Amino acid sequence: MKSFFLILIGLAFLFLSGFSQAFAQEWGEIEEKAKGQTVYFNAWGGSQTINEYIQWAANAVQKKYNVHVIHVKATDISDVVSRILVEKAAGKNTNGSVDLMWINGENFKAMKENKLLYGPFSQKLPHYHLVDIENKKTLLYDFTTAVDNMESPWGMAQLVFSYNSNRVTNHPKTMLELLAFAKQNPGRFTYPSIPGFHGTTFIKQALFELIHDPGVLNNPVILSEFEKNTRPLWEYLDALHPFLWRKAKAFPTSASQMVSLLNDNEIFISFSFNPNSASNAIENGELPDTIRTYIHTGGTIGNAHFVGIPFNSSARVGAMVFANFLLSPEAQAKKADPRIWGDTTVLDTQKLAGKDKALFDAVPKGVATLTPKELGQGLPEPHVSWVQALEKKWLEKYSK
Amino acid sequence: MSGQAKNSLFPVVVIGLFCITILAGLIGTLLPSLNYLPVIGHTSFSLSVWFDFFSYPGIQTAIRVTLFTGLSASFGAVSLAFLFITFSYGNRLWKFFEKILSPVLSIPHAAFAIGFGFLIAPSGWLIRMVSPWMTGFTVPPDWLLLNDPFGISLTIALVIKEFPFLIMVTMGALGQLDIKKTLLAGRALGYKKEQIWLKLLIPRLYPHLRLSIFAVIAYSFSVVDMAIILGPSSPPPLAVLILKWFNDPVMSFKMLASAGSLFLFFMVMVSILCVYLIEKSAGVLRPWTANGKRRSFLAPIKPIIFFMGSTTFFFTAVSSVILVIWSLTWQWRFPDFLPSAGTLKFWEKGLESSFDPVMTTLLTGIVSAFIGLVLTIGCLEHNVTAKQRRTRNYTNYIPYFLYLPLLVPQISFMAGIQLLLVIMRMDGYWITLMVSHLLFVLPYMFIALSATYLAFDSRVFDQAMLLKRSYIMVLFRVKLPMLLKPILFSFAIGFSVSVAQYIPTMLVGAGRFSTITTEVVSIASGSDRRVIAVYALIQQFLPMMMYSLAIIFPKIYYYNRKGMQV
Amino acid sequence: MSLELEKVSILKLGANIFDPVNLVIKPGEITTVMGPSGCGKSTLLSAVSGSLDRVFTLKGSIRLYGQDILTLPMEERNIGLLFQDDLLFPHMDIGSNLAFAIKEKISRAQRNKMIDEALKTAGLEGFEKRDPSSLSGGQKARVSLLRSLLAEPAALLLDEPFSKLDQTLKAKIRPFVFSQIRRMNIPALLVTHDPMDCPEGGMILNLNKEEG
Repeated sequence: MKSFFLILIGLAFLFLSGFSQAFAQEWGEIEEKAKGQTVYFNAWGGSQTINEYIQWAANAVQKKYNVHVIHVKATDISDVVSRILVEKAAGKNTNGSVDLMWINGENFKAMKENKLLYGPFSQKLPHYHLVDIENKKTLLYDFTTAVDNMESPWGMAQLVFSYNSNRVTNHPKTMLELLAFAKQNPGRFTYPSIPGFHGTTFIKQALFELIHDPGVLNNPVILSEFEKNTRPLWEYLDALHPFLWRKAKAFPTSASQMVSLLNDNEIFISFSFNPNSASNAIENGELPDTIRTYIHTGGTIGNAHFVGIPFNSSARVGAMVFANFLLSPEAQAKKADPRIWGDTTVLDTQKLAGKDKALFDAVPKGVATLTPKELGQGLPEPHVSWVQALEKKWLEKYSK
Repeated sequence: MSGQAKNSLFPVVVIGLFCITILAGLIGTLLPSLNYLPVIGHTSFSLSVWFDFFSYPGIQTAIRVTLFTGLSASFGAVSLAFLFITFSYGNRLWKFFEKILSPVLSIPHAAFAIGFGFLIAPSGWLIRMVSPWMTGFTVPPDWLLLNDPFGISLTIALVIKEFPFLIMVTMGALGQLDIKKTLLAGRALGYKKEQIWLKLLIPRLYPHLRLSIFAVIAYSFSVVDMAIILGPSSPPPLAVLILKWFNDPVMSFKMLASAGSLFLFFMVMVSILCVYLIEKSAGVLRPWTANGKRRSFLAPIKPIIFFMGSTTFFFTAVSSVILVIWSLTWQWRFPDFLPSAGTLKFWEKGLESSFDPVMTTLLTGIVSAFIGLVLTIGCLEHNVTAKQRRTRNYTNYIPYFLYLPLLVPQISFMAGIQLLLVIMRMDGYWITLMVSHLLFVLPYMFIALSATYLAFDSRVFDQAMLLKRSYIMVLFRVKLPMLLKPILFSFAIGFSVSVAQYIPTMLVGAGRFSTITTEVVSIASGSDRRVIAVYALIQQFLPMMMYSLAIIFPKIYYYNRKGMQV
Repeated sequence: MSLELEKVSILKLGANIFDPVNLVIKPGEITTVMGPSGCGKSTLLSAVSGSLDRVFTLKGSIRLYGQDILTLPMEERNIGLLFQDDLLFPHMDIGSNLAFAIKEKISRAQRNKMIDEALKTAGLEGFEKRDPSSLSGGQKARVSLLRSLLAEPAALLLDEPFSKLDQTLKAKIRPFVFSQIRRMNIPALLVTHDPMDCPEGGMILNLNKEEG
């Protein structure tokens, strides 16, 4: 596993250094061809701040490269995956309705497996060499699915808990302390319903902390040992549920609803997948300024999000130009600003110098944001096969 | 007379349009449910999907909750509507309802659900009103008021939203009955008003409302947006489960979603069949209608019905008020009764970024409602002339086709249509988008207009024909102008139905067209209630504007014609 | 001494719409109110029946067998009403239409017998199961009258009951209606603009618009 990983990095380096000459030439052609193209960028549209950032980036590539980017606001990116699937079923191999999409995890896996993606392409992007693939393992393995340059990195995510410091003086630092907190404050913690990305992530985090041998999580799930391996998790949830919000008779339908619940003081502890989102929400008034964040002592699950080009896009080069711009220090630094979005960069800031480095140095640290050191290296996602097994078992136990 | 002869084209076109799309939709749903979805490598037919469906964890509960909410919401809305008419027809409350009905109807379901949720939640407005001074709550109580596992809060919200719809349809149908004279005749025989309604008027009103009641049943079973906000969460009602499956990254769940959709369709059909059988067996009530009982056993519940009727409007109004407040909020914490800081920022941004979607919405809504109007009037005219000449009446067949789109769960049905359009390379065009809206616009316009249109006094038409001798002239100079008010009203209904379409816009429009509703739904998947409120209010404003025009325009146009002021 | 109208006047916007009316109708008697259209004869009728529109104000008193009925709602006045439209309920058969009128305490067997007999008197034997819309105008008019009378009203009001019938039918229906009223021995008030409608020997009241 590890050697394979190294070989891949080596190959990437070879590719970058050895062919840089031809590479620049080729990219010049791509930029030339991209001129005047319209790129339909399908991305989740549930956040005004993110929408505004995408609009800013679209305006910038329009000005710089004469590429017209239209943000198609999706409610759930799997809608878009479905549409591309339908297009493939109907034999629509060109002129697809999507040129670039915001994607990761299970959706990426589904698209890759069903050959719905164009690529490999990310290695062709000039800014790709700034990406911190050396330290950020999740940029090469998206939820344990090999990325293989079929999608281009965009941002980093990590599970962070947020709490109202007015109500909680000593925040829990482990899952067991969280249970103790719930017992002391019945009804003031919950997690989103399953199946669903955020709810499942909470279960995975709990499993990481409770399982006897976390090592098995890196490998595909073995169903015969699933019961034995996950028993501590279900015992934990059985103990936790009576003290959850609404006594676990109802769950929030989404992570978004958790933010509202936190703002309304219905719950005192929530969690999100963006270490900066609490600072961003405080910045725009959505959350009170008493919200702070923390992670558990053993670390929390981290992953990355990407942009990918569907196989039947008719504006591939335009999409690549936009993807490259999204990787530029300018765009990445702006994205990292908690006043704008607060999404952690995928770049290795050590590789930057001069003006580019200054851009990142100027990014303020949000009031509720942990330092990179505090955040540490995110825990890797368990092997993707665990998701379905965990969700199925959860539904059987708690969705009756 | 040629125009009159050719109008059989209208019903034929409508039936053709609906036949093709419904067939495509059903096949596109049926095949995946039989394990046939070649694109993900499933090519052998089997019933395995159905086994998976029935063994999905919590499926029994999901079906039970769907059955409970669907049946009790339909039954509640229909009986409340009938009782409300019985007690309040012609009184002040009734007249007040007539005035405020349009704005109430124009509130989109999702917007209402958001407002309603914020009203009655433990952290909602009602509790804030009495906190902390009365309740002592400084944090919201942990009460299970929303999202209860039985679906009671969802049921109540559905009743509140469907009751005004039924009242609107009833108001249209009342014109067909000689209400005043029947009331006189009944009272002269010594009957109380309530008994006259129950024994004489509602049995005659029912046939006019039948299809609307079916639509209410179908809607209550397959509602998604309100169910996500107010319904139970684990497991959710079947329709929400289907949507989750459709959206699951694991592709094989799409087949489960197809099976679920067909099962939901089956549940709707069985429920409608039951209602139909109940209606057919209503003959057993004949001894009751003719038993001479004049006293009303309903009299004691009169205040309850008044209260419930008014409450529905109160809730609708207050949930809109809440949206307005949220849209102007910067910070609003529990237990503050009002926001602690306000801002216009979200309106500024919202208005700016919603300009293009609003234009698309207006264009699509106006064009589809206009075409819907032409088709509806064409079909109804065909009906009138065919009846007159006793020739073949194609319009009689229309209801069987027309209402199917309302009875099939939208997501699976539209997924089949999407596949067909992509195969024909017709997705992503505005024209197909508009036609897909028409599928849902037309049935509602038909419901809204047909009763009044067919009740038009044919003697006036005959008289005009004798004078003018041109069918087209008489139609456009006499009949349609006389029907201006109901025509504009059904136009407004068609427009508002088009505005509300989300799934067709996303699937058929291939994401190329954003309307105000696609914006609302995507922004509502986020957490920022202030932005959600701004978009929801913009979405609500469009139909309301059209309804207002439909009411005001005839008043201005016929300001000096007392006979047209009714 | 049965149906009495004493100094009855009806005001709209403070003005009398006709001279005050004084009337006494004895059981079995039929009094006819005549006048051109718009003189208020139908309004007078609705005042007696209890369905007077709110825009009108009623003065004077109306008594039925000595009881003041003005305070009673329409359905408690026990006064039958016959219109120019038959107003048969289209969703019920003829038998049910008639049964609808019969008081509730009467037994089922008795009801059926009453309906049978009533139809016989009108020459409509065996019409129980017929659909109202399959009847001719004259038949409908007769059923309509039978229905009003089966409710055993203490008085009957007739609002231009023959105006929709053609001359030959009118000639047949009138004697039937009048004979039924006499048989029931109740006071009746008939409103018409056709002098031919007046029963022989009945009182006639001409409504006049008050001068000034």
